[in-house]
Amino acid sequence: MIRGWLQSLQVRLALRVAALYIAATVVVIVVLMSRAYDTARSLGDQELLLRANDLARYVTAGENGLPRLELPPNLGAMYQVPSGSDIFAIRDANGRVIAAAPPRFGEFVAGWPGATFEPARFSVRLDTEPGDFDGLSISRETVTGLVSVSVGRSSAGAAALYALMRKFIHDTIWAVSILVLAALAVGILGIRSGLKPVRSISEMAAAIGPHAMSVRLPDKGLPSEISPLVTAVNRALDRVEQGFNIQRKFTANAAHELRTPLAIITAALEEIEGDDDFVELKADVARMNRLVEQLLRVARLDAIVLDVTGVADLNEVASSVVATMAPWALARDRTIAFKGFRDPVLVKGNRHAIGDAIRNLVENAVLHSPAWSEVLLRTDPDGRVSVADRGPGIIAADQERIFDRFWRGKGVQFEGAGLGLAIVKEIMNAHGGRVSVENRSPDGAIFTLHFIMVDREDEDSPVSRHKSAYGKAVPP
Amino acid sequence: MTHPASKQTWQRVEELRVLLVEDEPRMSKLVSRALVRAGFAVDAFATCADGREAISLIHYDAAILDLGLPDGDGLTLLATRDSVGRSIPVLILTARDTIEDRVGGLDAGADDYLVKPFAMRELIARMKALLRRPGSALGSLLTAGNVIFDTIARDVRIGNDIVALSRREIAILEHLMRRLGRVVPKAVLEEKLYGIDDELESNAIPVHVHHLRRGLADAGGTVQIHTVRGVGYLLTELKA
Repeated sequence: MIRGWLQSLQVRLALRVAALYIAATVVVIVVLMSRAYDTARSLGDQELLLRANDLARYVTAGENGLPRLELPPNLGAMYQVPSGSDIFAIRDANGRVIAAAPPRFGEFVAGWPGATFEPARFSVRLDTEPGDFDGLSISRETVTGLVSVSVGRSSAGAAALYALMRKFIHDTIWAVSILVLAALAVGILGIRSGLKPVRSISEMAAAIGPHAMSVRLPDKGLPSEISPLVTAVNRALDRVEQGFNIQRKFTANAAHELRTPLAIITAALEEIEGDDDFVELKADVARMNRLVEQLLRVARLDAIVLDVTGVADLNEVASSVVATMAPWALARDRTIAFKGFRDPVLVKGNRHAIGDAIRNLVENAVLHSPAWSEVLLRTDPDGRVSVADRGPGIIAADQERIFDRFWRGKGVQFEGAGLGLAIVKEIMNAHGGRVSVENRSPDGAIFTLHFIMVDREDEDSPVSRHKSAYGKAVPP
Repeated sequence: MTHPASKQTWQRVEELRVLLVEDEPRMSKLVSRALVRAGFAVDAFATCADGREAISLIHYDAAILDLGLPDGDGLTLLATRDSVGRSIPVLILTARDTIEDRVGGLDAGADDYLVKPFAMRELIARMKALLRRPGSALGSLLTAGNVIFDTIARDVRIGNDIVALSRREIAILEHLMRRLGRVVPKAVLEEKLYGIDDELESNAIPVHVHHLRRGLADAGGTVQIHTVRGVGYLLTELKA
């Protein structure tokens, strides 16, 4: 089951495409994240450097000759905000703190070595301020000489930035997932519509049989990968049909070619009287006759082409079978009776084929019945005709197999080839009906043929009845 | 071993003439011989053309046609038969036995159909059945076992004694004897008796058959009337 599912082109392609998309998504997200973090960090560094330069610009020489910081009011106000997110400290070349905000940061920085022109990162925690601060120290030229500027920013700010980035990545994952699903859907739908002609020609191929040998599969609109297969199948069908026609012709010819000499031998032997050996010879010829008959039946079973478009009255067909077969049964000390439904039972089908099916069942029933017993045919208004006998019945294990070709019950001494019921089944299949069997109480079997009833509105259509069928019917 | 059919040669069939059209010479010879032994006069031909000529020149009582003839289908002879204006019963002999073939032959107007290979006694029995039809050669004097039915005098004899039967019983017996060995549907008997009994009771036929059976048995007839329940009746000669 799973195996068959995995064999599907759609599933195979979908699985591969899905894997590709997922891998691509992971790679894209990882790259995107690292790039984003890098960018964020370098953007942060840039800003800190700018601030350091800014601060250095406002360092001027004080009255006492010492450098001091004179910030414009707006900038100064920004750094005076208590518990602000930005900190700084400026030291002169001697390590003296010129200015710091908050002052605690100045105390902190006082112990640090002087900065260089290369920015040096730091990370501090101030006991007066909440949270951590990340920043950098750098040496800058001012009017008073070199100073070390340390600027920092609350890491809470950075955290907010990173949260923003995470949200962005999150959204990206969603978008990519939806894209993956959409791509998969498009892929599957594409394959499906591409394979649609394949499905429709599969249905056509399934309809090809003995009744429709001339059907060929169309290759219009097929994917180019599949059309060579269809062409090859069509060529194979050509060859099969050819062989089939030869077989059909052979069957018809064989019937004639084999039967005529057999008829001559049979007739010639009848004229001669002879001893025991001669009686045996006659029996041999009789066996040969049966064998040829059975061979032809097998051959015809496959080549059978039935026109089942007509309408048949089961009462008429069944009673005519009883009439034709009653003399044969009587000669074997069995009787056949018929119990028809009071009104015609009209079913769809070929009355001659239905007659053949019933005849096969009656033949079987008579051959399996004990002497002086009665085989009963009955019709029912729902399109059924049944044949009941008083024979040994059919054991449950055999009830399916009896319809197989060449099946013969154990210890059956009759002359059949085991084809009668297979032919019945074939005829019923051609009619869209079925044959069923059950055992009868206290003994015997009932075979029932189930046909499709004629629709009410069809009932006026001409019923192919031969009123004088009794005079023309062919005995078995 | 005597041939069963040969027992009945005392029937007056000597003057009956049968046309046989069969192209296979061995088959033709064997069928001719069997027919002659059964008391028929036989003209055998091998082609449609010969058969057509014969049928338009000679008054045959019955014809036996093979289907696959060298110059056409034996069925084409049926048209010739119809054109001569006489009703000649035709029996088709053939190796073809598909449903289509059977139906085709009967629809074309053949009266019976026998598939090769067949037993000669079957062929003779079928021929006699065809000839027992009303208007056919054996239609006026019917026999079954030791029962002789004169359809013109309307009397039934066993040996030299006339069997006392009612008009209705005689009518039933006539149909059974014309179709000796085959089932006569009850509906057919009812139709035939309707002219005699204007008010036909539903169990009239079984009652008449019952009386007929007893009448024949009492007179020592070697025939038996079987009931095929739900379909009709069947007359057979008692097994010797």
